[in-house]
Amino acid sequence: MKKRIISSLIVVAAVMMVAVISGFRPTPKPWSVPEKFLKMTNPLKADADVIKDGKGIWVKHCQSCHGKTGLGDGPKAAQLKTEPGDLSSSEAQKQNDGSLFYKISEGRDDMPSFKKKLQDEEEIWQVIIFLRTLKK
Amino acid sequence: MKQLLHFSSRYWMLPLLVISCWAAQAQDNTEPKKKPKPVKNTFDGLMLGDIQTVMVPQKHTFTLDIQHRFGTWKKGYEDFFGLFAPSNIRLGASYSIFNNFVVGAGITKANMLWNIEGKYAFIRQTKGRYPVSVSFYGNIEIDSRKAENFIYRSDRVAFFHQLLIARKMNEKISLQFAPSVSHLNSVEGYYSSPGKVSGVMNNDQVTFSFTGRYKLKETMAVFFNYDQPITKHRSHNPHPNLQLGLEMTTSAHSFQFFAGNYASLSPVKNMMFNRNDYREGMFLIGFNISRCWNY
Repeated sequence: MKKRIISSLIVVAAVMMVAVISGFRPTPKPWSVPEKFLKMTNPLKADADVIKDGKGIWVKHCQSCHGKTGLGDGPKAAQLKTEPGDLSSSEAQKQNDGSLFYKISEGRDDMPSFKKKLQDEEEIWQVIIFLRTLKK
Repeated sequence: MKQLLHFSSRYWMLPLLVISCWAAQAQDNTEPKKKPKPVKNTFDGLMLGDIQTVMVPQKHTFTLDIQHRFGTWKKGYEDFFGLFAPSNIRLGASYSIFNNFVVGAGITKANMLWNIEGKYAFIRQTKGRYPVSVSFYGNIEIDSRKAENFIYRSDRVAFFHQLLIARKMNEKISLQFAPSVSHLNSVEGYYSSPGKVSGVMNNDQVTFSFTGRYKLKETMAVFFNYDQPITKHRSHNPHPNLQLGLEMTTSAHSFQFFAGNYASLSPVKNMMFNRNDYREGMFLIGFNISRCWNY
């Protein structure tokens, strides 16, 4: 009887700990995108060259946090305060190209702004086209 | 009369048709033609080992450089292949004012040598327009040791001019050829005849430099540099330099690790006074670290 009580207490404590820890995990804040960007469309067409160029930019600038396939499991991801999220998920992929362009250009929190690093806007559009190939 | 009117109205339509066709064609011509863009990333940094590359970072990029050269590995275990031998260090910084112009400055441990440098990219390899990228690199060096080391103040100064011509052959291979002229204001002298002093070396040195890079993957590459001195001096002719290395880059960092013959961190001193002969195995290990920020 005593054993049963102790094991039940351990289970309850474990459940409570999980609940407390998950309670501390920051929930992602909504990221509003200005109307101007929502209306933007990608001027590039997805062909092999554009995907290859986009992949090159992804590997150099994005992969260390977002991971090879966009799962958010890059080597730097663990050090981030905010979760990079799963960019291959339908949730992330349902964003239009203009929204992604805005988020990559401007950045927020741990996500750096790339508008100065990638001064040629075409490079951002290329990486968005590559990002679409990560869709699960 | 009615028939004539009908006929003339038909012919009256003809110029209208021609004008409308011309207008349609003109409209076609005004459609924006895609301008060919310059080739990107012929190399990933301002330098590759001891050699400048044709690259100039995009405008408002600030770069910090740390360069380190160990001793030659000739002594083997005695100084742990040169890693525990006296080393040379350079700290430098540069800033791209425009998309095709960068200026920088630095200080080197050996001789407390300051340098001011600039690079201007005047041609960028562009499909159908320019087969190569061409840049000019200029460098002024000032030896800041105590005055007792010099006769005249101008003896402290040396100059380096280099033309950098590079081509990105494909996504993997980039090649560069860079002729340079090094100039020393003061060289050692000797009495060539009673009362006549001649220089042991010329004041100028022409060198041809060859660089190649092969990308193993997007963020990793192997490279070589070979520098062939062209000028023949009376004595103290410098040895060529052979350098092989590995380059790793990230979004903002570049790390290069290599072995070569150049021990100095000044291009003038390297090109004019290299005493390390690769045929005698006088190689040393070096590394370059650079970090850039975009403003």
